[in-house]
Amino acid sequence: MTEPLIRLQGIQKYYGDYHALRGVDLDIRAGEFFSLLGPSGCGKTTLLRVIAGFEGVTEGTVMIGGTDMTRLSPNRRPTNMVFQSYAIFPHLTVAQNVGFGLRKRSDLNRQAKDTLVDDALDMVGLDGYGKRAAHALSGGQRQRVALARALVLRPKVLLLDEPLSALDRKMREQMQVELIRLQRQVGITFILVTHDQEEALVMSDRIAVMFEGEIAQLAEAEALYRRPVSRRVAEFIGVMNFLPATVDGDVVDAAGLGKMVVQDLQSTATTAGDPMVGFRPETATLLFPGQQTEGRVAEGRVVEVVYYGDMTYYDVTLDGAEKPVRISMRNVFGRPVLDIGTQARLAWSPGAITLFR
Amino acid sequence: MLRVYVIAFLAFLYAPIVLLPLFAFNDSTVIAFPLSGVTTKWFAELWTNKELHKALGNSLFVAGISSVLAVVLGLAAARANVRYRFPGKAAALGLIMLPLVLPEIIVATSLLVVAVRFFGWNLSLWTVIAAHVLICTPFAIAILNASFQSLDPSMEEASIDLGETRLSTFRLVTLPLVMPGIVAALLISFTISLDEFIIAFFLTGSDPTLPVYIWSLLRFPRLIPVVMALGTILVIISILMLTFAEWNRRRGLARAGVKDTGGFL
Amino acid sequence: MDQETKRGLTLIAPPLLYALALLAGPLLAIFLFSFWTQDYLTIDRTPTLANYAEALTDPIYRTIMLRSLWISGAVTIATVVLAFPVAYYVSFRVAPSRKSLWLFLITIPFWTSYLLRIFLWKVILGYNGVINSLLEPINPWIVALGQRLGLEWDGLAAPLYSPEAVIITLSHAFAPFAILPIFVALEKIDRNLLEAARDLGENAVTTFFRVTLPLAMPGVVAALLIVFIPTVGDYVTPALVGGPNGLMIANMIQTQFLGLNNAPMGATLAVVAMVLVTIIALATVALARRLSGGR
Repeated sequence: MTEPLIRLQGIQKYYGDYHALRGVDLDIRAGEFFSLLGPSGCGKTTLLRVIAGFEGVTEGTVMIGGTDMTRLSPNRRPTNMVFQSYAIFPHLTVAQNVGFGLRKRSDLNRQAKDTLVDDALDMVGLDGYGKRAAHALSGGQRQRVALARALVLRPKVLLLDEPLSALDRKMREQMQVELIRLQRQVGITFILVTHDQEEALVMSDRIAVMFEGEIAQLAEAEALYRRPVSRRVAEFIGVMNFLPATVDGDVVDAAGLGKMVVQDLQSTATTAGDPMVGFRPETATLLFPGQQTEGRVAEGRVVEVVYYGDMTYYDVTLDGAEKPVRISMRNVFGRPVLDIGTQARLAWSPGAITLFR
Repeated sequence: MLRVYVIAFLAFLYAPIVLLPLFAFNDSTVIAFPLSGVTTKWFAELWTNKELHKALGNSLFVAGISSVLAVVLGLAAARANVRYRFPGKAAALGLIMLPLVLPEIIVATSLLVVAVRFFGWNLSLWTVIAAHVLICTPFAIAILNASFQSLDPSMEEASIDLGETRLSTFRLVTLPLVMPGIVAALLISFTISLDEFIIAFFLTGSDPTLPVYIWSLLRFPRLIPVVMALGTILVIISILMLTFAEWNRRRGLARAGVKDTGGFL
Repeated sequence: MDQETKRGLTLIAPPLLYALALLAGPLLAIFLFSFWTQDYLTIDRTPTLANYAEALTDPIYRTIMLRSLWISGAVTIATVVLAFPVAYYVSFRVAPSRKSLWLFLITIPFWTSYLLRIFLWKVILGYNGVINSLLEPINPWIVALGQRLGLEWDGLAAPLYSPEAVIITLSHAFAPFAILPIFVALEKIDRNLLEAARDLGENAVTTFFRVTLPLAMPGVVAALLIVFIPTVGDYVTPALVGGPNGLMIANMIQTQFLGLNNAPMGATLAVVAMVLVTIIALATVALARRLSGGR
C-alpha cells in the first residue's frame, strides 16, 4: 500500500480538563471519500479542525502528504474547508468569494484568476452567478459557492463540516449525489464530518465511527453495517434487533430464536452488558399463510404494524422473548398487510446474526 | 385610549424642542409669549461670535479625538469579550463598563482630584478628552459587542483557511463586516462627547467646550436668543446624524442578511 | 497559558489599563481623600472619620442627601410609570415595519443638547415662561371662582425653582432610558404565550397582569436602575430649575470641590452618595427577584 495522504498519530486534545480527543490514530488515503461519523460531542468536528489546523493538539502529530504539519497554521496547509454555516463573505460578490483564496497567487494574472473562478463556478453548476451579491443566495447556492471557493485552490484535501445539515431533505439528497460526482471528477480526498449515518453510508468509501473522542470502528460502509464491532456501533448505525442470549462453548441460545452455533453466525462483537444476539430488520422475513422456507423459523405474534407505503414495519414478539423485534417487509404486489394480533412465523438465518458478548 | 396617551406623551417629549426654533426667530430678548415678530439676527450673531466659534472648535476637537480613541479601545474590548475566554474577564469588563452606571459628577470629581492634586497636571482639553474616552468606551463596546456577536466566527476561519494571515483577514473580512458597528459607535461616542457638560465643566482649563460655553451664556438673558438659534442648528445636525446612523444600521442589517427587527441602539 | 487566553488578555489590556488608570485609580483616590481633612490651603493626611460624621449628622448635608434620594425616587417612578404604556404601545400595537420609526421619533429629542433641553424647561416653567403666559388669561377666572367658593386661590403658576420642577425636567430627560429597556423586554415576549393565556380563560386585563407584566419585569427593573442611578448625581437640572430648595447632592459636591475648596468633604459626600445608590439599587433588584417568585 502506498503512503497515506494524511496520517494522524496519537492525537490527544484537551480543553482545560475536558478530554476531547483520546488518542486518535488514523490513516486517510489519497483520493478517497472519508467520513467521520458520530453523535454530537464525539470529537469528530474537533478532529476535522485539527486536520485543518484550527485546533492545536495537546499531543500527537498530523502528517499531510508525508510532511509533519502539526504546528502549521491553516493558511499554510494544503487543506480547504467547507464550513457548516458555509461562511460565505456577505460583503463580496459570488465571484469575489470564489476568488478569495487566489489573491496571493502572484503567479497568476487577473485573467487566469477569472478563468479559474469561472471554471470553478461551472463545476458546481453556478455558471453565470459570479456577479451576484453573496447575501442574496439560497442555502443550496451558498453551499455550492463554498465548494467552488475551496476547490478552486486545488487542495490536497477538502474538509466538509456537516455541509448538508442546513438543507432540507430533498436538497440534501440531491447534494449527496452531486458531492459524490464532484469528488470523482476532481479526484481530491474528501473528509466529511456528519452525524447522519445514512449520509455517511451513501457517500463514503470508508467511515470512522467516533464515540467520546475515540474511533470506535473504521471500516467500509458495508462492513460497518453488516459487521459492527460493538453493540454501540450497531445501535448507532441503522436499526438492530437485540435478543438476550446465553453462550455455552460454541453454542448460543437466544430467546425466541433458539440454539445456533457460533461458527454459523455473521460476526461477533463486544458489548458492555449481558450477551445478546442482534439482527437487522430486513434480514428476517415474516411468512404468510402457506408460505414455505428452507431456513429456520421462529413463532411470534404481531403487536404493532406501521404502514409506510413501499414498506411495512412489523413489531413481532417472539415466543419466549420479552421485547418485540422489528421486521421490515417490502409491500410487493399481492402481499397482504398483516393485522395486529396475528400469529406469525418468522424466517431467519444464523448467517445474518451478530453475537454481542 | 392608549393611542391618545402616547400622542400626548410624544407632545411632552417634543415640547422643549419645538420652542427652540420659535424663540430663535422671535424678535425679542425676552423668552416668553406672545411672540413679537420674525428676525434672523440671532443667527447672524452666531456667525460673528468669535468665542462661540472657538468653543465649537474645541468641542469638535475633543469629540473627534475622544470618539476615535473610544472606538479603538472598544474594538479591543468587544472582540476580547465576544471571542476569547480568559481569567478575570467578567471583572475586567465590569470595570470598563462601570462609567455607564456611575453618575458623571463622580467621574468628574475623581479625575479632577487625581489630575490636579496627585499629578499636578494643568487642566486642558486633553484632560477632558481623557475623561470622555472613559465614558464613551462603554457605549462603543455595547454597540461593537453586537457587531462581533453577529459575525460568524467561521467567516474569519474561512479566510485563514483560504490562505490569508490573521492580519489580512482582519482587514479583508472582519473590518468590512463590523464597519456599520464601528460607524455607529463613532457617531454615538462623538455625540456623547459633544453634548457632555459636567465633566468638561470640571476638567477643562481656559478653553471651554461648547456646552461649557453655552452654560456661561445662560447667565446673560440678552444672549439667550442666540443660544436658541445655536440650539436650533444643533437639533437639525442631530437629526441629520441620527438619520445617517439609522441608514447605516439598516445597511449593516441588509449586508449581514438579517431581517430588520426594528431595534434602534 | 494557552493561545486563546493570551490573545484575550492582549486585547483586553489596553482598555483595561485605561480604565484602571483613569477610573479605578481616581475612585480609590476619592476614597482616600474622604478620610483626610481640609486645613485651609493644605490637606491634613491623618486618616479620620470626621468627614463621615459631619456628612451624616450636619442637617445641611442630611437634608440635601435625603432630598436627592426622594427626588430621584419620584423621578424614577414617574418616568417608568409614564414610559410603560408607550413601550407597550410601540411593542404591541405598532406594525413591526414601523417600530424603528417610532423608536426613532422617541429618541430624536434626546440627541439635542442636554443643557439646552434643561434650559428650555426653565423657559417653559419660568415666571414669564410658556406655561405662565398661557395661564395668565385663565387665572382671573380661577381667582374669581375661588372667591365665589369662599376660598383664597392665587391662581395657577408653573413650579419653577422647586423640587417639582426638578422632577418634571428629569422625568422628561430620562424618558427614553426607561422606554427602551421596557420595549426590549416586551419585544422578547412570545406572542403565543398571550394567546395561550386567553385560550386558558383569562381576559385581556388578567392576561396583562398574569403574563405580560411579569415577563416584562426584567425590563422594568433595568429601567428603574437606569433612571435612578444617574439622576441621583445629576447636576445641571437642579442647578437650572431647582432653586435653593431643589438643589441636590451633585451641586453640593461641586460646591465643595470648586467653591469652598474642601475636596475631602466633597469626596466624602461622593462616597456616601455612591454607597447609598448601590444599596438602593441592590435592594431594588432583590425586591424584584422576590416579587417575581425568586427566579
